[in-house]
Amino acid sequence: MKPADVKEKLRLSELFSFGGATGPLIGLLLLCVFLSFATDSFLSVRNFLNIMDQITVLGIIAVGMTFVILIGGIDLSVGSVLALSMMVLGYLNVHVDLPMALAIPGALLISAITGAIAGILIAYFKVPPFIATLAMMSIARGLANMITNGSQIIGFPAWFNMAAIIRYGGYLTITVGIMLTVFLLAWLFQRYRQGGRMLYAVGGNPEVARLAGIHVKRVTVLVYTVCATLAGLAGILLAARLDAVQPSIGVAYELDAIAAVVIGGTSLSGGTGGIGGTLVGVLIIGVLRNGLNLLSVSPFVQSVIIGLVIVVAVAAETFKRPAR
Amino acid sequence: MTKTLTALLAATALTVAMPMASAAQETGIGKIGLAVPNLQADFFNQIKLGVENYAAALGIEVITVDARGDTATQVSQVQDLITQGIDAFIYIPAGAAAATVPTRLARQAGIPVINVDREPEGEPGDTFIAGESVMSAYEVCAHIIALAGGEGKMAIIHGQRGTTPEVLRFEGCKQAIDENPGVELVTQQWSEMWSPDEGFQIAQNMLQAHPDLRLIFGQADGLAMGASQAVEVAGLRDQVIIGGYDGDIAALEYLARCEGAFVVTATQSTQAMGVLAVNSAIAAHHGASIPARQIPNAVLTTCENAQEFVENHP
Repeated sequence: MKPADVKEKLRLSELFSFGGATGPLIGLLLLCVFLSFATDSFLSVRNFLNIMDQITVLGIIAVGMTFVILIGGIDLSVGSVLALSMMVLGYLNVHVDLPMALAIPGALLISAITGAIAGILIAYFKVPPFIATLAMMSIARGLANMITNGSQIIGFPAWFNMAAIIRYGGYLTITVGIMLTVFLLAWLFQRYRQGGRMLYAVGGNPEVARLAGIHVKRVTVLVYTVCATLAGLAGILLAARLDAVQPSIGVAYELDAIAAVVIGGTSLSGGTGGIGGTLVGVLIIGVLRNGLNLLSVSPFVQSVIIGLVIVVAVAAETFKRPAR
Repeated sequence: MTKTLTALLAATALTVAMPMASAAQETGIGKIGLAVPNLQADFFNQIKLGVENYAAALGIEVITVDARGDTATQVSQVQDLITQGIDAFIYIPAGAAAATVPTRLARQAGIPVINVDREPEGEPGDTFIAGESVMSAYEVCAHIIALAGGEGKMAIIHGQRGTTPEVLRFEGCKQAIDENPGVELVTQQWSEMWSPDEGFQIAQNMLQAHPDLRLIFGQADGLAMGASQAVEVAGLRDQVIIGGYDGDIAALEYLARCEGAFVVTATQSTQAMGVLAVNSAIAAHHGASIPARQIPNAVLTTCENAQEFVENHP
């Protein structure tokens, strides 16, 4: 009887497991309960949909960042790559007059190239990820500014902005739908594909992973390419939401994404954590910002509170984990 | 100029037809949402204080959100404001002229939009309150050019590229430069945040490239203050003459000391703008007609009249 019991329990916990992010999940639920009582306007379908709108960009960036951090890396360039992708999109669609069906792949391609370059520098030229992506952050920002000499581009087709505004079936904007799809695909990949398990192996110990027959360098390049492409995708969705693009957008978004990943229980040293936790992390940041606005908390106090939450989340996680 | 201002204020008060110290139920408005681009800039902070103080006197609640310079953050914040059931929306767009989305969102919810300082292209609010930038920038530049004897090399440190004030202040200053053939515009550079550290760095590089620079126009007081620091460091206080814009408290205190290279600014009536914005919000809420454009004047401020503005900001 006993072994069967244990097995049953394991499967149940497996089902509800968020990649070791049960702590953050409880935190998120408590936060929601608190806000529901503290303000009348928080607990409503409409506000929940607003929050989904608001976390779309951060969410997609954080998915790519999770993969990078899982293999023990870091990507500081995502905010700049997002801006570059937006400017390329604006340039191709508005200035060159290409249809969106070509402009969007063009923007994604440029983003992917920046990621591939960073990945190659890291994997083959042994440049530390911090430095390689720091350099890419500067390069991509400069390129984004060069496209229009620093000014913004407006004049996208009307349906483009509508993709971020119209709620199909009363619930889902296209942009939010895309974010949920990205999360679902990433989660399925990480959990059920061999490639997903490889990320943990590489992050845990690259040398062991190599000896086990994993092509560590190729995995590294691919992960940075995917991360940059997702940043580019986030840029396109942000362009739809703002109905305009400008090269100064997205400064410090990489730090928000890293914060979300870390709050979600993924370790900065690589090898542990996952997409489920990141979703919770992104939601915590989104709900917190939304809730503090609804409570009319002063902007200065807000940034203190968000900093404290990061500290508490990470400290709780470290405290829970047995010392190695 | 103060007279025009008082007249304008009286006019707004008349359209609203309401005494200054009426209670909330009399104004018929409970909550106003105020979205500002960046509270680190003193100019926006002054407008915020102007709105909050006046609204408090009328018994109206003001909810302020700070976008920290990020357009996307501002869109999210405006959604949250609308969720809170604001009756009117005072909107200063973050970033360049791009942000039409908040106006659209507010319109969808049937909330009147009052634009202050900047207006998004293609999506005007119910009214637009902004200082007269072209004429005032012209006056500042004409003033420093006159001090330099109508000739010399000149530099301009711009604000954030493409924003309404950046474009108009350049237009005004350019007029003054064009009227003086002896003045040569040798270099210009754009800042991102209108901040003193950018002003310092940009001016230092300009002085390196053009050691014989005579004139600098900083499009905001932060930039001008930074530039004046760079001039001090280079030991060129007697050679360079600097003009600023906005009338920030720190800049007015600096001007009142009557020393240093930064000698003139255009003081914007930020408190009056706040009052005007609240009055317009009340009027729009009641469906009263308000002018599409309201222009509180900026006042040319030098060492002589800076002290009075330090004590009592217009």
